[in-house]
Amino acid sequence: MNVLISGGAKNGKSYYAQQIARQMASGQPVTASGQPNADHGGPYPLPLYYIATMIPHDEEDHARIRRHIAERDGWGFETLEQGTDLMGLVRPDAEGKALADPKGVFLLDSVTALLSNEMFREDGSFDAGAAERVAADCTAFARATGNTVFVSDYIYGDADRYDTMTEDYRRALARVDRALAQVCDRVVEVSAGIIEEWK
Amino acid sequence: MILIFGGAYQGKRDFAKEHFGIETVTECAAPGAELAGAEDSGAEDTCAEDSGLAEGHSGTETVLALPDFSGDAVCGLERFARACTEAGLEARDLMEEQKAGWQDKILIITDVSQGIVPMDKTTRAFREMNGRLMLYLASEADEVWRVFCGIGKRIR
Repeated sequence: MNVLISGGAKNGKSYYAQQIARQMASGQPVTASGQPNADHGGPYPLPLYYIATMIPHDEEDHARIRRHIAERDGWGFETLEQGTDLMGLVRPDAEGKALADPKGVFLLDSVTALLSNEMFREDGSFDAGAAERVAADCTAFARATGNTVFVSDYIYGDADRYDTMTEDYRRALARVDRALAQVCDRVVEVSAGIIEEWK
Repeated sequence: MILIFGGAYQGKRDFAKEHFGIETVTECAAPGAELAGAEDSGAEDTCAEDSGLAEGHSGTETVLALPDFSGDAVCGLERFARACTEAGLEARDLMEEQKAGWQDKILIITDVSQGIVPMDKTTRAFREMNGRLMLYLASEADEVWRVFCGIGKRIR
């Protein structure tokens, strides 16, 4: 099952995403609450991957990454660092081997960071084609794996109009969200930890 | 009247077209005065991404255009709220006066209530004006729909 999760910052999206990804990997039916059975810390019948999208730039970033890895520790996630080129995770190399098993369960946290990495390149340039590319990559990844939880961010409620680059980014993320909402089996919004079912 | 609201870029107009089978959508004019923040923001359309809006400028004079209710739906009522704010008028009251024109229509508005409190005074006032307008329209609506990631849901 592919799932798109969105909502505001610090509303419990990542926590909920981790819960249902663990349910999916354990072969349990995914429940609305996402609460796994008590005994789950892995190993699971299916490989369980956490796709880390942050590209660290300084010690603060490294510290945050260490904290996140520690939080996931004991939950049975294997961390895959992939800040760009999502499909690169399941693309077979010359020997037919890929970085990850597409039959596994994937948690991508977050679409927002992935788009940012693709749109605002390391060399400081801006890639206007990132929206379409990331939308295509994410939907292809959903189809290739069939078992991915995508976490995005709801950044569409401001009264202020931002600079062109920021508005381009908001529009691009909405483009990716809407493409994912079409291919995902389930779309949920998390607010204050409460799940609103959209699809 | 059917009210459809949602955040920027969520696909509200596309949803209205698909779900309600409407054919004609009129666009609210962008405010005549420049908006704070971005040069192109007057013509920027958060209600739909590719509508090719006409700009609401008339020389240097600020013109308040009332929404055009000749189509099946009116999109971009947040731009009307913005224009009213700049003109010192209450969008809710002007809409109430126009009720005969829209009571059988679909109205589409961008919800701008959920972000950071704007630095700019006029934008702060617009944010509140838009909220009052949404409250009024929702109270008058037979159906209220919210659009999220392109998906519409009837919430009343």
